[in-house]
Amino acid sequence: MSQFQLVSTRLTLFAAFLAAWAILPKVGILDPRLLPPLGDVLAMLGKQIVRAQVQEAIGVTALEVVVAFLIAVPLGTVIGVAAAESDYFGQIFKPMLFYVFSVPKSIFLPMFILTFGIGFPQKVAYAAFSTIFIVIMSASAAVESVKADHVLVARSCGATRSQILTRIYVPSMMPVLLETLRISMIFNFTGVMIAEMYASRTGIGHLISNWGENYQMPELFSGIVLLSAVAISFNEAVRLLEGRVSRWRT
Amino acid sequence: MSAIEVDRLSHVYSGAEGGVPALQDISLSVEPGKFVVIVGPSGCGKTSLLMMLAGLRHQSSGTILCDGRPITAPDPSRVGVVFQEASLFPWLTSLDNTEFPLALRGTPRAERRRRAEEMLNLVGLKGFGARYPHELSGGMKQRVSIARGLVQDPPVLLMDEPFAALDEQTRMTMGHELLRIWSKTRKTVVFITHSLTEAVYLADEVLVMSPRPGRIIDRITIDLPRPRTYEMMATDTFGKLRERIWQQIRKPE
Repeated sequence: MSQFQLVSTRLTLFAAFLAAWAILPKVGILDPRLLPPLGDVLAMLGKQIVRAQVQEAIGVTALEVVVAFLIAVPLGTVIGVAAAESDYFGQIFKPMLFYVFSVPKSIFLPMFILTFGIGFPQKVAYAAFSTIFIVIMSASAAVESVKADHVLVARSCGATRSQILTRIYVPSMMPVLLETLRISMIFNFTGVMIAEMYASRTGIGHLISNWGENYQMPELFSGIVLLSAVAISFNEAVRLLEGRVSRWRT
Repeated sequence: MSAIEVDRLSHVYSGAEGGVPALQDISLSVEPGKFVVIVGPSGCGKTSLLMMLAGLRHQSSGTILCDGRPITAPDPSRVGVVFQEASLFPWLTSLDNTEFPLALRGTPRAERRRRAEEMLNLVGLKGFGARYPHELSGGMKQRVSIARGLVQDPPVLLMDEPFAALDEQTRMTMGHELLRIWSKTRKTVVFITHSLTEAVYLADEVLVMSPRPGRIIDRITIDLPRPRTYEMMATDTFGKLRERIWQQIRKPE
């Protein structure tokens, strides 16, 4: 299939989905009380997004996501690289990391509330906690993607330790690290949402949870559309970058 | 003065149950501009020996002199190395791969571009500088490796089974190409291979190593005229030389 056909087929399917969402609830095939038509949802989104309360909630959520991300990604990368590079550290901690990785992080949420109370630190701590394990695992995998042969060649060319780091490790690891960035944002965002929906006084997650409980379906879906758009945009932006730096990986 | 002088080199690997002798009392000397091929059974330590010549591994005892000075660490201005397949950096173009050793030394950009392009021309890859390794054939990749090994103009070029992963036809062509490049640059070459035909075809002298612990058990001067041609492979002399090496290698201890 040609690229053009592929893209046009995708766009057609997407348009069909939007059209179905716009029409089916209107003509009564789907229950508009459960799924308000697309037009109503978009109109509601326009109304909500200018409300001060919603804007404040967006600000709070965004800050939580960013701070948790800035904690989890660098810290997880350092631990992951250390676990992969040092035999001693790796042998001691890797099994534990694997065990903890398999446990659903949400069951620890009550602990975070008891420790930090309900608020900004608790959201950030929980989101960072639920993200850091995937970062550690991926960063380890990134180190392991560095080929010993390439390091040997660089040494034979007279590379110093720091040159091996910047000229072999960094470019070898970059594609996997960008993938890590993308996946960790998904975990991170999910962590913040779960924490906000579970117990919170503000944030988009809190609003969405309220709207759901109060059966305000157009409001609920406007929140879903907004969050989906933000998440997809971030994901695609990093994927674009990934494509650029991993052009050689074919 | 010899280009390479190895004196009573031995190596012992430290293992769980004491040391494992890998190389035993190896002495050899290579005159400047000579093409020396090392053959031997798998695991005889010939790659280890090459790694030591390149300064990438340390021997337990004995000395290695290159250009009269000991080799203790990699020195690409004295020794260039060409490895087996897939040793190019896939994230760099052919040109960037070729100039990599110069970039490490901080050679000015224009200068290293010029040198790298010159080397790519020499190995027959004019116009392929912008290609990435995955866009090159196996033979072309090894040409880039050779260009990279020569870019600092070292007097010695070490080659560790550089054509082992290539198909028979490409392998023959590359052997021939290597001789052409060698005759132009007059480097001292130490070349490791499993192929006896390749050994006789390329070498001035073939060193035969024994199974572990690796020792040099025979030195065979290949007095076939140069330039070598494919037709020579069918001659009696060629066959006899090849046979003599084979007898040495399969000889039980």
